[in-house]
Amino acid sequence: MTLTARDIEAEAARFAIRVENEGRTPALEAEIEQWIGDDSRRRGAFLRAEAAWALVGQAGEAEEAAPQEASSGRVSRRGLLAGGGGLLAASVALGLFALSPGERYETRIGEISRVPLADGSVASINSDTELAVRLEKSARVVELARGEAWLQVAKDARRPFTVEAGRVRVRAVGTAFSVRRRNDGADVLVTDGVVESWVEGAEGHRVRIAAGERAFVADNAAISKESHAAPEIDRALAWRSGRIDLAGESLAAAVAEINRYNARKIVVADPELAREPLHGMFRTDDPEGFAATVEAITGAEITQRGPERIVIASKRNF
Amino acid sequence: METEQSWRRRELVAWVAGKVMPHEPVVRAWLSARMLPAEDIDDLIQEGYCRLSALDAFKHVENPGAFFLTTVRNILANRWARARVVRIDAISEIEAMAGADQAPSPERMAGDRRELGRVRALIAALPHRCRRIVELRRIDGRSQREVAEMMGVPETIVENESVRGLRLIMDGLRAQGDRVSADYEARRPGRGGRS
Repeated sequence: MTLTARDIEAEAARFAIRVENEGRTPALEAEIEQWIGDDSRRRGAFLRAEAAWALVGQAGEAEEAAPQEASSGRVSRRGLLAGGGGLLAASVALGLFALSPGERYETRIGEISRVPLADGSVASINSDTELAVRLEKSARVVELARGEAWLQVAKDARRPFTVEAGRVRVRAVGTAFSVRRRNDGADVLVTDGVVESWVEGAEGHRVRIAAGERAFVADNAAISKESHAAPEIDRALAWRSGRIDLAGESLAAAVAEINRYNARKIVVADPELAREPLHGMFRTDDPEGFAATVEAITGAEITQRGPERIVIASKRNF
Repeated sequence: METEQSWRRRELVAWVAGKVMPHEPVVRAWLSARMLPAEDIDDLIQEGYCRLSALDAFKHVENPGAFFLTTVRNILANRWARARVVRIDAISEIEAMAGADQAPSPERMAGDRRELGRVRALIAALPHRCRRIVELRRIDGRSQREVAEMMGVPETIVENESVRGLRLIMDGLRAQGDRVSADYEARRPGRGGRS
């Protein structure tokens, strides 16, 4: 006997309620996966049941927000609907955008994601990065909470495109550039066109950064710019194709870079070895291969190969 | 690990609830315009949601209604390819409706609002005890145990009534698809009901 869609729905509803009660525990997840098996109807029914339950919550929020709406109801209905601000306020009140003020993206360690934005721009988001995108009527804003992104900005003179990385601001009209958030500022690398950058609170001091130039914009508004950096920019953006490109960086710097992409960390056990310069192209997703190469070219030795870390140390000289 | 995975799932569920489910009636109407039997429509809708649950990145989907329709249409084309009588005019009208929301236009916003209004009406129509439990659980955010204590009933009753409430609401959402179809049929001049 095959189950009807409604039978499946009943079971899915039961699981959705249990998730609400018990939380998404591994045991319950396993039970649900077992129930789903390879039945796509069950998988779909479960998502639908969870979503319907969420919708009940949203309906409740909307109801609570209703009096607010009524108080602003003096504005004519047409005026309220025509005004973008009114619309936005209404939708926020309704909980439709309740998740965040914009679209939020987060990549895990090792994950690189290319996201087309609604305005035609494209964000390439590097490992372990969190950002939010707000596309408004007169502005486009990417808020970089941590990590790094390379942005190919669609031309739209009426809506300047600004990246906010802490206090650092980078503005472009139609161009491609990357911003990497650091502890004390942000790296800005421009691959196409021109951007303008400044620090919040020091708007008077702005610097223009053109294609082939890179700058470090510090939170204290100190800006250091470097021209003729095109080859270096290409190297620095090798992550877009899952590689890192080293040209004499120290082992310590290279390891810090590789570790950005992997949960399995490389540890360099002694400081002298950490200063060794390295050259070459490495895959960001292969710490094992990287460690083996380091072992081969520096005469170091892998002393530990665990699931969480790989330790490289100098060979002991007796 | 609780954190990352379940956070993603919550985001997906919220997105589906807010952006996709409101379009489900239109997609159902599109399917019934292809004269598919009701059981097949239910299966296709479930398979459509299954595709959604496999999505990694969904927030860039500009037009979730049209996206969902396209997804279901592909499933229909690939797996259910059988000779059907297709009424192009009805289909294009419904596609236009699903695709009419490139931006959150006033009509679209009103649609979403109407949708939440419908869900509220469905909650209001639940049997008394069931309704009270759903509201306490989902709207006041009380835990199952708290609700059981407040109402002086065992926790199993609270769980069973919650499941019942959720099922009735899903039934109600399904029935809306039929109403949308009926609407289309009625609005098409010179044509009677489905043959």
